[in-house]
Amino acid sequence: MEGPRQRILEATYACVARWGLSKTTVEDAAREAGLSRATVYRYFPGGRDELIDAVVSWQFLLFFVRLYEEVHGAGSLEEVLERGLVFARQSLLEHEVLQKMLEIEPEVLVPKLTVESNRTVGLIAGFLVPYLHEHGMAEGVEIHEAADFLARMILSYISSPGHWDLGDPEQVATLVRTELLAGVVGELGPAVS
Amino acid sequence: MRQLEPYCLTVGVARLELVRGTPSANPVEGRLAVGATPVRVRVIDGAIDCLARQGVAKTTLDDVARAAGCSRATVYRVFPGGKDAVLGAVVDTEVSRFFSALAVRMGAATDLEDVLVAGMTEAATGVAGHRVLRYLLEHEPEVVLSTLAFARMDEVLAVTCAFTTPFLGRWLDQAESKRVAEWAARIVLSYLLCPSDGVDLTDTPQVRRLVRLFVLPGIRALQVPHGVAAQVHTKPSSRSNPSTPTTKGEAS
Repeated sequence: MEGPRQRILEATYACVARWGLSKTTVEDAAREAGLSRATVYRYFPGGRDELIDAVVSWQFLLFFVRLYEEVHGAGSLEEVLERGLVFARQSLLEHEVLQKMLEIEPEVLVPKLTVESNRTVGLIAGFLVPYLHEHGMAEGVEIHEAADFLARMILSYISSPGHWDLGDPEQVATLVRTELLAGVVGELGPAVS
Repeated sequence: MRQLEPYCLTVGVARLELVRGTPSANPVEGRLAVGATPVRVRVIDGAIDCLARQGVAKTTLDDVARAAGCSRATVYRVFPGGKDAVLGAVVDTEVSRFFSALAVRMGAATDLEDVLVAGMTEAATGVAGHRVLRYLLEHEPEVVLSTLAFARMDEVLAVTCAFTTPFLGRWLDQAESKRVAEWAARIVLSYLLCPSDGVDLTDTPQVRRLVRLFVLPGIRALQVPHGVAAQVHTKPSSRSNPSTPTTKGEAS
């Protein structure tokens, strides 16, 4: 059984997918959820703005939960990064609602995503620390500074890969062994794939 | 058509390529009166003052005219496109200034580490210290941020990379230069958009530490598959104490 809060979020997301972030109102969300406006306001006293922010946060979190599920069983640091980059990039490209919003209202969505993404740097860094610990660090590199560097680079490559093709496993392996890990953990063997 | 992004950085950066080498066809714009600042320059400078004080949305053409010490009609004569045209000229001017400063610093560098440190520090300082950008990030973040994410960020990376690649060519081959230029731009933008507790890229020693720890080893690793592993550009010893930025130039 899902609670009303979750139901409202899902309903709002459905409205956003249909009409966009700017055009979705509390009224739309309430109707879609089959609840009264008053109920929506009880869960989201800030109204429309709070509701939209909550939907973006929720979808963002969902994305990272899926990413976590994809990589948390990986056996090595390289595998975590390779699988994570490939999966995350693919998921972003296939995320129809995200892509549509980026096209029609980037000035609304991107600032919200920037806030979320900045919060996520710490989460990703925290996730990487045990892997870095196990792998061992290059001389002179402090583990938290390395985790922070990796986390922000990962976020950067996922959203804007530049000349890298993250659909190509060979390129991803090279990226991980050069721009991501070469300085962090020192010498790595050649990619196994 | 450009409604949404008349002043967006991406457009300005991309247009820089077109603007270069095509002098103004309008004789009014190009004319230089002795002892007087051309109207065009006064309007652009005035617009920059307005934008730094009140942002994009609140700045009107009247404000710009007042700041430039001329009439609204004069602004229109020089910029028939009105506010959008003025904003476009501001972006062109500021982007050109940014890349000129970057070129001066990178051009004076004496080794690979130095060119990276100088370029990254200058870029970070140029953006972080820019009074218009600072106002916008604080009060109208959507104007700036929407041009610095996803596919539009890719465009910014590509233009920055195209501009800075030649400066790395003294130490790296063409393919390596391109990769490293994009990577360095990515690092700077990441720390600017998402400030880190511990790292300030406007501070040269901190940039040097970052370059020594993460960037130079990445470059060496990139070179290994190409069979140039032996040509290490900085001494390995420079890694052992990355926090003291004393060994450079003669060390390599």
